[in-house]
Amino acid sequence: MAARQEVLALQAEVARREEELSSLKQRLAAALLEEQEPTPERPVQVSPLPSKAALSRDEILRYSRQLVLPELGVHGQLRLATASVLIVGCGGLGCPLAQYLAAAGVGRLGLVDYDVVEMSNLARQVLHGEALAGQAKAFSAAASLRRLNSAVECVPYAQALTPATALDLVRRYDVVADCSDNVPTRYLVNDACVLAGRPLVSASALRFEGQITVYHYDGGPCYRCVFPQPPPAETVTNCADGGVLGVVTGVLGCLQALEVLKIAAGMGPSYSGSLLLFDALRGHFRCIQLRSRKPDCAACGERPTVTDLQDYEAFCGSSATDKCRSLQLLSPAERVSVTYYKRLLDSGAPHLLLDVRPQVEVDICRLPHALHIPLKQLERRDPESLKLLGEAIREGKRDAQEGAADSIYVICKLGNDSQKAVKILQCLTAAQVLDPVTVRDVVGGLMAWAAKIDGTFPQY
Amino acid sequence: MVPWCQVEVLYFAKSAEIAGVRSETISVPQEIKALQLWKEIESRHPGLADVKNQVIFAVRQEYVELGDQLLLLQPGDEIAIIPPISGG
Repeated sequence: MAARQEVLALQAEVARREEELSSLKQRLAAALLEEQEPTPERPVQVSPLPSKAALSRDEILRYSRQLVLPELGVHGQLRLATASVLIVGCGGLGCPLAQYLAAAGVGRLGLVDYDVVEMSNLARQVLHGEALAGQAKAFSAAASLRRLNSAVECVPYAQALTPATALDLVRRYDVVADCSDNVPTRYLVNDACVLAGRPLVSASALRFEGQITVYHYDGGPCYRCVFPQPPPAETVTNCADGGVLGVVTGVLGCLQALEVLKIAAGMGPSYSGSLLLFDALRGHFRCIQLRSRKPDCAACGERPTVTDLQDYEAFCGSSATDKCRSLQLLSPAERVSVTYYKRLLDSGAPHLLLDVRPQVEVDICRLPHALHIPLKQLERRDPESLKLLGEAIREGKRDAQEGAADSIYVICKLGNDSQKAVKILQCLTAAQVLDPVTVRDVVGGLMAWAAKIDGTFPQY
Repeated sequence: MVPWCQVEVLYFAKSAEIAGVRSETISVPQEIKALQLWKEIESRHPGLADVKNQVIFAVRQEYVELGDQLLLLQPGDEIAIIPPISGG
């Protein structure tokens, strides 16, 4: 009896605290919104940092471990205190970078990010916490950094860096760190740094690989010297599609912080004119000597054609985000919605659902009745897979009643790969490799299924 | 007759995805123009044509322009194909 009462009391206490927590979260969200209030079209004005003649007693204690390094010393620390760094992107690279710069006592940090904190960010974007899901990353990062070091001035810019704003913003800072996640922004940041005459510490990471270089420093090459042409959009993989391990962005963000600190303290960077490659799977670091500045570079050459910032999304043929692109390969008649598919499933109409995601994603979640053949196997016309598919179609035809349509519905994560698969299956039926069958895909894929049909289905 | 030698080709990022391997040993003439060496590698993995204009091509860890520059290769030399990555 006593035990029962304790259970009830504890349940009541948990409920009370959960309510309190939810009310705290609401207040926090409101406070953050208020902080965002002057959402400026033009960036927040910042005045130049005053020069500093000496360190205070507190500063000496706080930075003592780095002050005793002869290469840095009081002189270097004073330079850090008056340095300003613009951080473009408060994600997997920007978080550890900003964290170490704030800890080391850099005077001012500009934090640019248009995006909001999502649960899928937390495994690598270590300044953001669960409580701030849905809030602007720039404000979440600034709040964490202020807790870490209140002496560092954090200036959040919760907006995208655009050709209209980039140059003005870059000019207000001494050093720029490119921690962005997309190709158009990388060219935009590069050109703005060349036009404004600022060194650019650029890092990137994907899967188990990372790259870091310092561009446009002391006569060294810029990003366009090394990569004059942007890659075709379809050859670019983002972190959502390709995956990335948080530690890898962490390692690269820390290396980036090191380069920024060395530039800001006057020690000079290590990777100007060279590219450091990190292979996290094999544990290899490799340093590649890059080309020197290109005399005919469009941005930093003798006769530059980039004299103003341009339309970088048009230049790169992709948008300045890392969100997955929506392909339109099929006509509307060749596609069905998740709602349509759900009705079809409930009606018991004979059909085959074909899941074309890679095995690693099927291991995360799947619809149990789907046949699984990865797109890659269809692309290379893998004989085993085609045999499996052919059998499934024939079996379906046997089970289907007289006059029933023989249909395949193709599904993937988001509705891009499924369209490619439909195209392949159409070719295979036309070439009579497969029996005649109607093939359509499910718009929005399993993520639309999770969002609209089955709330218990995992999102990833 | 130019002697041949074995060199190690390392594939990074997208090029590893296209080639399906992270590294391989290939046999090539010891004296070869940079562009010819690329074509030799591309003939093994035709999909690499998609990234040709965006890669850093490095021989012995040093950038080489894909042009007429004559390379003098030694057995065991390391050739790296490095497309940019843009994630973060």
